[in-house]
Amino acid sequence: MRITRRATLTALALPLAAPALGQTRRFVVISHAVHRNVLTTGPGGDATAEWRRRTGMEIEWLTFGVEAVHERLYREAQLSQGGVDACFMLERYGGPHIAPLFEDLATYQAAEPIERAEEISPSMVAAHTYRGRQVGVPFRHATHGFFQNRALMRERGAEGVPESFEEIIALADRLSFVRSDGSRVAGYAMSLDDPSSLVDVIRAHGGDFITRDYRFVADQPPAVAAVALLRDWYRRGVLPRNVMTFKTEEVITAMQQGRAALTNQPFGRIVNYNDPRASRFPGEITVANIPMMSSVAGQKGALVPAKTSVWAMGIPRNARDKRLAWSFIREMSSPENTIRAAVNGNGPVRPSAYDDPRVRELAPYADLERRVLPTAMLTLPGFEQAGRAMDVFMEEVQRAMLGQAEPAAAMRTAKARIEPLLPT
Amino acid sequence: MSSTDAATRQAATLPTAPRTRRWRAPGGTRPAPVHYALLAPAQMLLVGLILLPAIYVAWMSLQKVSFGADPVFVGLANYRALIADTVFWRAAWNTFLVVNAVVYGELLLGLGLALLVSGWMPFRRVIIALLIAPYAINEVSAVAMWRFVLEPDIGMVSWALVQSGIGQLDWSADPTDALALAALLSIWMHTPFTFLILYAALQGVPQDVREAATVDGANAWQEFRHVILPFILPALLVALMFRYITAMRIFAEVWLLTEGGPARMTEVLAVYLYRTAFRYHEFGLASATAFAMVLLSLAVAAPYLWAAWQRMFRHA
Repeated sequence: MRITRRATLTALALPLAAPALGQTRRFVVISHAVHRNVLTTGPGGDATAEWRRRTGMEIEWLTFGVEAVHERLYREAQLSQGGVDACFMLERYGGPHIAPLFEDLATYQAAEPIERAEEISPSMVAAHTYRGRQVGVPFRHATHGFFQNRALMRERGAEGVPESFEEIIALADRLSFVRSDGSRVAGYAMSLDDPSSLVDVIRAHGGDFITRDYRFVADQPPAVAAVALLRDWYRRGVLPRNVMTFKTEEVITAMQQGRAALTNQPFGRIVNYNDPRASRFPGEITVANIPMMSSVAGQKGALVPAKTSVWAMGIPRNARDKRLAWSFIREMSSPENTIRAAVNGNGPVRPSAYDDPRVRELAPYADLERRVLPTAMLTLPGFEQAGRAMDVFMEEVQRAMLGQAEPAAAMRTAKARIEPLLPT
Repeated sequence: MSSTDAATRQAATLPTAPRTRRWRAPGGTRPAPVHYALLAPAQMLLVGLILLPAIYVAWMSLQKVSFGADPVFVGLANYRALIADTVFWRAAWNTFLVVNAVVYGELLLGLGLALLVSGWMPFRRVIIALLIAPYAINEVSAVAMWRFVLEPDIGMVSWALVQSGIGQLDWSADPTDALALAALLSIWMHTPFTFLILYAALQGVPQDVREAATVDGANAWQEFRHVILPFILPALLVALMFRYITAMRIFAEVWLLTEGGPARMTEVLAVYLYRTAFRYHEFGLASATAFAMVLLSLAVAAPYLWAAWQRMFRHA
């Protein structure tokens, strides 16, 4: 046999190319890391395993931060041919303007229905439906609860769970102090990079930010009172001095280190707050529902329509194999996989998941979360200028907190700037 | 009479045409195709990586562009929106303040350090390595580190400042302090660049000229002013221009420290652009912002580019 240069190169190249040739096709999912984690790792097991075995696909997870997920996703979905098969989207980054970039899943549901789909909250489905086009199947909700550090409460001689927001205000005052080791404790902490934490306080006062029918109402007395409370808290050191730079991560760290005693965050954060590897107070941070101002509700014990956000799975209109993508969504949405993901730390969109003993054992807040879900509300409805509206609002709130404007004047300015951004 | 002779005589009697400036290769010959071919890869790289994207950005700045919709030509509406936006002007003013503080701060510090190190200095190499170390640190890590040590409640440096009576740098609530910290961070990270350029230039100052100045009775300041400075001035101007242009893009220091807050009062142009493009998905407006930044950079670089152009053709 004659050995040529071409034959030699081919012989050398083949072993190198073999892994690529033998590779299974990849199914690309774009999401936040939390979706990958709750679907694939944890005590609930890997919810994707059976689907991967049956289809012979490997899932390639492209995970990004919340904003970056949507920026990258919309960019991909805009192309004539995309590389993303399925995606996860948060409702406040959506809107009628992006709906044409995604498949209308109602038609897929009609052809190959998701098991017991009627169980999924209609309001969550509505959060991802624009002008009759359903672009997402709800997968995860993050609903806010009220967290309190029991160890710090004992240190200050406080106990019990507040039954009204007035009691939270009094408790926050009491828990703002300097500890014996010289460290300062802020009574309350909240993220102020967007309005998602602030809307709980506004709603506790009986107000809102932007209603479902796109009306700006934060200039009305209840919201102004909430902003005035924030300004008062900030001036008196109830909020940390650097709270205006706080995002979720800073709130988590402050609570874990005992630099803040109370906060409102998604129920699922209880795992982070009590994680013995990261928290100085493992087992000491408990969660409850956020109560309304009793002066507004007329009684103690009424619940705030807590902030919730809904992640949903969708199919970009340029996905390569849409049937396959729908089979993935169907399977991840099944009752059993909803439970698996919930056990792994997901906020289940099926109420029945809260009845499962596995979920009840690992998510002790299940009853609290289920109680608030029927009244929980989105931070704001999705629309094209939602990001700018949130930024304008937070800018004016922070101006009020810094004393550059009176709360009422700041909210009037916010109204004047935000109303032109709202859909008509 | 041959036609050649006639043509020669005619040429001699005609008035000389004004000499046009034409680029010539070294040696006075006109560039041959091979010269163009040799230049082509670099030129194509510039065209592909800078000119074409710049044209695309200019085109986008005249459109309304977002996800899920076709671009719509809007003329100068994006520029008008920019001009009408108070946040843009605040960002432009903040950029102006920070960039000047950073560039001149770095220049003074870099020059001081270069003069110090170029004199007698024990462990010179170790000290140079230490001085340029911040340049090797990733910007994100550097800002995260400084943010942590200057954290108002638990930061070590913050605590030390308070204990020493200087007081706290209230960067999380006071926009002036926040911009000052962003400028300090930038100076800390980029001084090595200025230092290296000026240190190298100082090595090029002839020793005999310096000695002659000393023999003539010049004191240290006079030696610096009349001998060293003229020698290092070109390098100084290059460092100044480079840093002006790169400092204009300041982003990580502000974004990672405050994200432009509180109340968007510490926003700089690059942060404004980022928000517009990646948070609001208004790519037309973001492109207009980018173009405004390009024009600002060009305005800064224009005197130097003009001088370079003049030098290039002086001997042509």
